[in-house]
Amino acid sequence: MSLVDSPAPHKPGLEPTSETTARKGNISVRLRSSLQQLLAFGSLIVLVIFFGIMNSRFLLPTNLSDILLSTVVIGLLALGATFVIITGGIDLSVGTGMSLCSVMTGVVLSYLGLPLWMGVVGGILMGTVIGAINGFFISFLRIPPFIATLAMMLVAQGMALVVSGTKPIYFTSTPGFSNLALGKPIVGLVVPNAVFIFFAAAILAGIVMSKTLIGRYTFSIGSNEEATALSGINVRSWKLWIYTVAGAFTGLAGVIIAARLNSAQPGQGLGYELQAIAAVVIGGTSLAGGKGSIVGTVIGALIMSVLTNGLRIISVPQEWQNVAIGVVILVAVYLDMLRRKETAQ
Amino acid sequence: MSKSIYNRRSFLTLTGVALGAVAIAGCDTPAAAPGAAATAPGAKPYIAIVSKGFQHQFWQAVKQGAEKAAAEFNVTITFEGPNTEADVDQQIQMLTTALGKNPAAIGFAALDSKAATPLLEQAKSKNIPIIAFDSGVDSDIPVGTASTDNKAAAGEAAKHLAGLIGNEGSIAIICHDQTSKSGVDRRDGFKDWIAANAPKIKIVDIQYAGGDQLKSTDAAKAIIAAHPELKGMYGTNEGSAIGVVNAVNELGLKDKLAIVGFDSGKAQLDAIRGGVMAGAITQNPVGIGYETVKAAVAAINKQPVKKVINTGFYWYDAKNIDSEQIKPNLYQ
Amino acid sequence: MTQQVPPLLAVRGVTKSFPGVRALHNMHLELRRGEVLALVGENGAGKSTLMKLLSGLYVPDHGSFDLDGKPFVSNGPKHAQELGISIIHQEFNLMPDLTVAQNIFIGREPRRFGLLSEHALNRKAQDLFDRMRLQLNPRESVGRLTVAKQQMVEIAKALSHDSKVIIMDEPTAALNDAEVATLHDLIRGFISLETGVIYISHRMDELKLISQRITVIRDGEYVDTVGTAETSMKEVISLMVGREVSGEQRPTAATAGARTDVVLSVEGLATKALLRDVGFDLHRGEILGFAGLMGAGRTEVARALVGADRATFGNLRVRGADVDIPNPAVAAKLGIGYLSEDRKHLGLMLERDVKENIMLSSLTENSAGGFIKEGALRRTAEEFSKKLRIKTPSVHQLARNLSGGNQQKIVIAKWLVKDCDILIFDEPTRGIDVGAKEEIYKLLDELAAGGKAIIMISSELPEVLRMSHRIAVMSEGRITGFLNNAEATQENIMELATRRISAIPGAVTA
Repeated sequence: MSLVDSPAPHKPGLEPTSETTARKGNISVRLRSSLQQLLAFGSLIVLVIFFGIMNSRFLLPTNLSDILLSTVVIGLLALGATFVIITGGIDLSVGTGMSLCSVMTGVVLSYLGLPLWMGVVGGILMGTVIGAINGFFISFLRIPPFIATLAMMLVAQGMALVVSGTKPIYFTSTPGFSNLALGKPIVGLVVPNAVFIFFAAAILAGIVMSKTLIGRYTFSIGSNEEATALSGINVRSWKLWIYTVAGAFTGLAGVIIAARLNSAQPGQGLGYELQAIAAVVIGGTSLAGGKGSIVGTVIGALIMSVLTNGLRIISVPQEWQNVAIGVVILVAVYLDMLRRKETAQ
Repeated sequence: MSKSIYNRRSFLTLTGVALGAVAIAGCDTPAAAPGAAATAPGAKPYIAIVSKGFQHQFWQAVKQGAEKAAAEFNVTITFEGPNTEADVDQQIQMLTTALGKNPAAIGFAALDSKAATPLLEQAKSKNIPIIAFDSGVDSDIPVGTASTDNKAAAGEAAKHLAGLIGNEGSIAIICHDQTSKSGVDRRDGFKDWIAANAPKIKIVDIQYAGGDQLKSTDAAKAIIAAHPELKGMYGTNEGSAIGVVNAVNELGLKDKLAIVGFDSGKAQLDAIRGGVMAGAITQNPVGIGYETVKAAVAAINKQPVKKVINTGFYWYDAKNIDSEQIKPNLYQ
Repeated sequence: MTQQVPPLLAVRGVTKSFPGVRALHNMHLELRRGEVLALVGENGAGKSTLMKLLSGLYVPDHGSFDLDGKPFVSNGPKHAQELGISIIHQEFNLMPDLTVAQNIFIGREPRRFGLLSEHALNRKAQDLFDRMRLQLNPRESVGRLTVAKQQMVEIAKALSHDSKVIIMDEPTAALNDAEVATLHDLIRGFISLETGVIYISHRMDELKLISQRITVIRDGEYVDTVGTAETSMKEVISLMVGREVSGEQRPTAATAGARTDVVLSVEGLATKALLRDVGFDLHRGEILGFAGLMGAGRTEVARALVGADRATFGNLRVRGADVDIPNPAVAAKLGIGYLSEDRKHLGLMLERDVKENIMLSSLTENSAGGFIKEGALRRTAEEFSKKLRIKTPSVHQLARNLSGGNQQKIVIAKWLVKDCDILIFDEPTRGIDVGAKEEIYKLLDELAAGGKAIIMISSELPEVLRMSHRIAVMSEGRITGFLNNAEATQENIMELATRRISAIPGAVTA
């Protein structure tokens, strides 16, 4: 309490609204956000140039195409994880969830003998179900995301083995299935379908993130969940939707990995979630929520696969590959923090 | 107040559901809870088998062999293994539990022999004989080891690959693990044979991909990109070998690169039938399981047990893949 | 008091209880059309409960609310908004990572073919700002704005809803005078024959400027409503506390002998951001008050002194020895304790008990070989808890469960245990109710009498006047003057506090 009858403060008039200063502000705001992405992209280019110098074969079109192809699965998982992480959550179930989705595709195509498109839909649908269950436990039963998705990670791992009978499912009855990932959209092109599917999914994710209510509330919830709720937004049901959307990307990843291996491998997937999270984080998305971008995640996933491929190309032993990737994660996140601090001032 | 009661009730409900689930799961397990059966007079001797894995078909084949022997020698067995070959801790837990049940003998395939040593000594002090199998146990305690001689098997793979590329040129290895005994033996057995018998062959790269098919594929493609002169590749287990096959398929290099593999599985069998892969080494998993139990029964009955029980391996290719000798040891 | 026209908003006999607490009892309140009604009351008087009832977060046990003469029940903030009642909480409901426009139109995003249109959104926001003559960039993210601008976003959000009633909780708590003036202009612009504002504030000077009537509540009950023009602030305060305020008590001058004993001497202290050439001496047994307007740099002086912020220039002498204080740990070693204004975030671990809080910074002295000596900890904590009259059943009580005054005492105890003889108090009575304030004052007096040297930063002039032996007044990062207690008045403090440095080159440093 200020118990003071102080002299009336001087009353300056409202500052005049100046169109020009507002314009200038807009440009600087836009510049700042694009600069951030530019810097991430810059580090990717630097890596590519570095490996190119170390071994010129790195830059061969076939190898660059391989890098893109090896980005696809982790990249798709990372797209979904981006949504979850921007809300301030985490999803540990994407790795084994992906395996369950590929098993589901296998069940639809090989066990039930249904047409190819239904297998694709079945896999993606399985992903959305996993996401919706995660979302339900997190938003309606208030179980912390870490715990809920940890539980789902185990459930999905177990269910993938149960449903498949602990055996890989092969796509013998649908010979065209692997073309989904490895076919070429145009004859003679080096880059296979999976890469185009990934970039199409990334564009879709980008649109959802920036142009739809789901995307807007993803940022809003991550930024201040309480305030979002008090603004009259039904945070619970939107969170459920956000996890469901994230699950759809897990499902797509499951379909693509099944197509690429021409089999659904129930035992794999564990550890993929951490790589996906790493890609998201390298891409500048904050684990505290509220900040991030799909473009960043795509770049992050590319950085991961360029590193892995490049280190292999120059024959760095695997144990050192892991060390290098770990260091890159630390450096990327630290640089990103510095960058944000600078632009905030 | 009312809230805490509600919570307690829902907790009880959850516990109930969980117990129910466990009970249902338990129904599936034959010969559940053998407990003190081993000491009860007139009961069948109980042998606990702790393997390195469970889900994989290889281990299922081992289990099959063990069950066959159990029926033959009239003993009870349990067979369990950790989720992945990285779960050393989980395996130690399983071994601890098995010891707690006071079995007549234990069959054990160590993920990490050093980590298991105290438990093995405990077993020794209780006079429970240990039969090692598969990659074995790096210790003097087991009375015998039923395993594939991985080094000799890898040498056989090297011999075939060398023949395929005319004893000269560059080759590379996709290995599943750089720390486990099987990974090391299958790599070194191969390398040693090449060094001793085919000096003109150069191993230009060895990459490790944990036996994960996708990672093995990407690793193989990176090696091929870096070494266009490559004439052959060797994958040290099913996932690694399939990774090499995938890489060659994706790059359209069939007939340009000779591939030899290890173990079986449908994709590998298809690759051999389809000519992408020259051939592979198979172990004798059914035999491993069978010999383990057989040796355990011998140990229980105080009969002599051979220190090394070689369960054998076979080279198989498109020609002999369907032969009577090979077929039972391959799994889809 | 019946009127011809029904009041815009009326609270009629509302009662709300929580287990063990009656937060509101038979509350009355009438907001007339076209007026700004000030709502005042001590902390815990029931203001926030009333706001939560109006916004529909709570349901009243008894009573009703009328809007335009018709009863209404709000079932949540969104519903209240739709009814035309906007509430601006002291802690903003803003999403820092979203842009200004995105924040204002959250839940009402303009869409084209189902997709959000950022362009339409920003234009809508710009239209609103132009109408309100607000200087805001719709594309800027809210987290980058100053508190004052964030406040404007909140108000713009309220106005964008075509609200009839805006309720503002302590809207000027973090604003400087110019910003307060802008806010008041906005409020005046908003007020029409169909609208009204309920203005909750502790700053009596503002109420004079902006409100027409003042409603006073105390202990969850309605006390009185008075016309602002016809009342004095003293009267309002006595209504609030239910008794006359002892505002004029002056400290006994520190003993003459002690005055010569300089324990802390500061010369030419400056920081990159704000401080310029700050210098003063602090004596044993002295309470040196720091007065000044919000943002004058008082807290910054304290932070720079203890090394929490980096000082660019400055000579420090502690007990006659030149020292360099790079971080608060060094300050503590030198016996300088800083009690920050934000106790809850910076001074206390709310979820730990009294003992742990008191002993936190003295753990190394109370451990052997890395093991903590629990017994010694408890004994010391109990001793100081007794000495400072901390009201707690035991030292094992969680800090959260204690009142603001007792929490403050815990923080004080923490530094006393550490044997600090220079104590810097930043707003020592913020958020503490009147009765507990007396306790803290008494404690500060005792500490000074016992030979501690104290710097007390306070925004409340009566507090400064009552407690300080000497007063340093700051403006725009400099000390504009020192006043002895005998010569200090509210008027001459305010005169120094509002002195523009630009007008007086080579500012005064006593």
